[in-house]
Amino acid sequence: MQRTYIFFCFVLLCGMLAAASPFWGMSVISPASIWTTGHPDAEVFWRLRLPRTLAAFLAGAGLSISGMVFQALLRNPLATPFTRGGSSGAALGASVYFRLGAFLPFFGSAGSLGAALSGGLLSMLLVYLITRARGGFSTLTMLLAGVIINFFFSSLVMFTQYLSDAKDSLRIMHWLMGSLAGLEVFRIADLACAVIAGALVIRHFSVEIDLLAAGEELAASRGVRTNRTKVALFATASIIVGTVVSLTGPIGFVGMIIPHMCRVWLGWSHRKLLPAAFFLGGCFLVVCDVFSRSILAPAEVPIGIITALIGGPFFLWVLFTSCRHGEVF
Amino acid sequence: MLHVQQFSFVLEDIPILECLSFTLAKGEYLSVIGPNGAGKSTLLKCLMRVHEQGSARGEIRLKGCLLSEYDQRRLAALISYVPQAGGWIPPFTVEELLRLSRYPYLSAGGVLRRTDLEAVEKALCLTDMKKLASRRLASLSGGERQKAFVAAALAQETEIILLDEPASFLDPKHTAELNRLIRVLHREHGITMLTVTHDLNHPVCMEGKILVLRQGRQLFFGQAQEMLQGNILEEAFSHQFTCFQHPGTGRPMLLAEA
Repeated sequence: MQRTYIFFCFVLLCGMLAAASPFWGMSVISPASIWTTGHPDAEVFWRLRLPRTLAAFLAGAGLSISGMVFQALLRNPLATPFTRGGSSGAALGASVYFRLGAFLPFFGSAGSLGAALSGGLLSMLLVYLITRARGGFSTLTMLLAGVIINFFFSSLVMFTQYLSDAKDSLRIMHWLMGSLAGLEVFRIADLACAVIAGALVIRHFSVEIDLLAAGEELAASRGVRTNRTKVALFATASIIVGTVVSLTGPIGFVGMIIPHMCRVWLGWSHRKLLPAAFFLGGCFLVVCDVFSRSILAPAEVPIGIITALIGGPFFLWVLFTSCRHGEVF
Repeated sequence: MLHVQQFSFVLEDIPILECLSFTLAKGEYLSVIGPNGAGKSTLLKCLMRVHEQGSARGEIRLKGCLLSEYDQRRLAALISYVPQAGGWIPPFTVEELLRLSRYPYLSAGGVLRRTDLEAVEKALCLTDMKKLASRRLASLSGGERQKAFVAAALAQETEIILLDEPASFLDPKHTAELNRLIRVLHREHGITMLTVTHDLNHPVCMEGKILVLRQGRQLFFGQAQEMLQGNILEEAFSHQFTCFQHPGTGRPMLLAEA
């Protein structure tokens, strides 16, 4: 009971921080000024900060719920949304686009997004085909295939970077660190569609996820069509990750620590976990984004650095406190 | 209730089961014994239809219908499964595990109804697990955990329970407790059971039928007394056994030669 109360207070605090975050940044915006038409603060708030906060929330929520699915299906606390190689595929797509960007100017800003999304989906398709080629739909084969594809595509990213000039190489490096800057409103709408639709699919399969986390044989003996369910869930989580990464670049830690932390507090019922992971993942990235645009203002620190700096020690704290109670896996 | 006819199963071009034929009537107890690699656990997986790969020949009929005609969820309302001890421990509490076992009966919304909660409660009481209901499976002893899995199978309210070496890794006290529970469920509640076991005295104690497998082939199917009269165990295990009478119960007991 006390743990639920603490968790509820924590969720409330996160919600308050997330709600306050568009007012924070290089300059603090007063809530009264945002309703004054023509006021520069109102322009900054409505045109820049609010869409960015929304994008951060959706990206964080998407990464968190897909991480939750991967951890449950792979029964591995270290699984992340990128375990299946989606991020390295997206990185390769974006890198190749930046390298060839001079030859493909007609695609504009959508070019890098399309290239990253294609790369991410290609890598996930390869993992799926390798797993199928081995027969059945073994979780272990899929995990290993994901790791191999991840290494292979990461090497190709480095090779592309090696072949690029200083300017393109810097763009690739910057993309790889993740950023929420400059996202257009209709791209945020794409993100919202992918994340919300994905969350609804995951909600539909929440009992099946519980059973698969209990073991595939046990799940099958309780009536779950394991292969079909796994394919549906991996595809859903992969599409969410592909969309998020193509828009923001790979942002680490969110998809690993948030679902893990929610499990320590709420247990393993994915019906309860899903809204918690969605909300906390979103709030976490919103708060990280405030740090990213504030601490070295007017310069921006890549958000991936912030998530790792905040998430790493926090994860260790959760790990050590929960290990004392023997509750981490 | 369960008719297996000329059933064979091949995995990656290796025959795992060859021409098995046996029947299991309602309320019967069948023990499957045989050395490691005989195909005992594979047989259970085929009966539950959880094999992702491999090809099967012959037929398995459950209540007159071919197993392949059953939807996985409908099958789960007829057959439940108790996994081998010592495997992956699901990260749930005992009660959560039992609630998940109601999956075959869940409506589209996935919400447990009163009948589901009653079935969970009944299973907890029958197995004397009520006091451990809120404990995580990982925090239980091996014997308590196996009892929790038996309770989960009971909560599934099926006519047949398959048990895969339920007492392996358990000490003699917990093994005896678990066997007592299985006996009560079989005899007093009339549940049809099929148990894979390495304990050769288990089938003798349970007084049911025995299926002896060796390298995927069926060596024997019948009553314990018939099995003890021949050299079936010696042939199955390539090892000598001594049979003697238990001084208290008078039941035949088997002891592997050192």
